[in-house]
Amino acid sequence: MSQQKLADEIGVTRQTIIAIEKGKYSPSLEVAFKIADIFSVSVETIFEYK
Amino acid sequence: MNISYKEGGLLVSLATTLGLFGWYFFEAFNGLQLAPDLPSFTKIIGLIVLLIVFESILQASIAVIFRSKVEDERDRLITRISYRNSYWIISGGVWFLLIQLILSEQFDYMSELVTPNGIFHFLLLTFLIAETTNFLTQLYHYRKGV
Repeated sequence: MSQQKLADEIGVTRQTIIAIEKGKYSPSLEVAFKIADIFSVSVETIFEYK
Repeated sequence: MNISYKEGGLLVSLATTLGLFGWYFFEAFNGLQLAPDLPSFTKIIGLIVLLIVFESILQASIAVIFRSKVEDERDRLITRISYRNSYWIISGGVWFLLIQLILSEQFDYMSELVTPNGIFHFLLLTFLIAETTNFLTQLYHYRKGV
């Protein structure tokens, strides 16, 4: 799945997806759960607390 | 370099604001006075019109280039942080001016600043610094993260 497609599905910009991937932005719970939902995994699989 | 629509718009606004107001202040303070003469009404209106025209043309160009104008939660968070920083600049400037008013009245300190000319230019400069801080804060957080 492309960054743009993921961004469109969640309702954020592609730059926000890039920032999340680079660890420069911590998304809200709503966005985190939407990402996990799209990939059919739990939130803990995608995000870890540091 | 991956620039979003928001960053492009910010760079345009920053350049336009600094360009036009920088030109105005360069002309006003050319004589190295603390309180230059007040600009004419037409000059102020002309400056505002120029700012609106330049911003409109350049922002429209940015919109055509980038097409996507979605504003998401990250954009809103960065905007909130930048407006908070601008608020502090404007507050500091206003408080500084208020204190100078009292000091000039009591001790005749920096009395040139508290003339109508001085107050006008000081407040305009405070606004310019606040706007620049607003744009730079947003650009910083778009690049470095939040």
